[in-house]
Amino acid sequence: MAKYIKHDFFYPTTPGVVWEYLTDPELMAQWLMKNDFKPIVGHEFQFRTNPHPDVNFDGTFYCKVLEVDPPKKLSYSWKFGSGDGVLHNSVVNWTLVEKEGGTELQLIHNGFEKEALFLPLFASMETGWLRNMNKIFELITAAADGTAKA
Amino acid sequence: MEQQRLDVFQVIADPSRRQILYLLSKDSSTINALAENFDMSRPAVSKHIKVLSNAGFITIEDIGRERHCVLKQDGFKDLHKWLEYFDAFWANKLNKLGALINERNKSQKK
Repeated sequence: MAKYIKHDFFYPTTPGVVWEYLTDPELMAQWLMKNDFKPIVGHEFQFRTNPHPDVNFDGTFYCKVLEVDPPKKLSYSWKFGSGDGVLHNSVVNWTLVEKEGGTELQLIHNGFEKEALFLPLFASMETGWLRNMNKIFELITAAADGTAKA
Repeated sequence: MEQQRLDVFQVIADPSRRQILYLLSKDSSTINALAENFDMSRPAVSKHIKVLSNAGFITIEDIGRERHCVLKQDGFKDLHKWLEYFDAFWANKLNKLGALINERNKSQKK
């Protein structure tokens, strides 16, 4: 559905190197989390980290590879929950673009269900999400126009 | 125009509807009580409420002669925390990746 969490980072290396860090389980573990990832569409894997009681998180992300297009695009489903069997859906999307002197890496973490995506925005306007919401509206509008930019 | 089925973005693009959701996030309310917060007529407020209800953001319950609007907020506090958590989580991880790549570049130049 809508874009939600979005980060753009520039790294002074080739897309090929960034791709390795996104898809080699050992390199991924160095900056992300322990995992049993394989760059094969349909492969199911997990990221494991410490439980995070503050957000009712049991410490495991349940993932499935959705798209592998080296060294340009990678996406996987990203399900999470408190360990009671109920999992929230979301999707992690990586896009790599070669730029002068390096690589632009874009992360879009989206696919949260509608309630997950929008109700928090309204109910927590006081805590600063309104700013983010305006940004999201810009992104959505830009995307609809086909002029989305970093 | 409002009778057609609006998508989620059209539903929340309207400032009055956002205001209604915000008010309901504090407490459920009757349509009459909600209408007091707006300059527009009660039927106009009702129309916005219908749009929000059709889109699944709120439910309307008849209690006696009054219609009560309730925000659908299942699991909402958790999810709000999640989204904040992931935003910070990714920023942190991606910075870590940057540090790794810088180290790698340095060691290759030696």
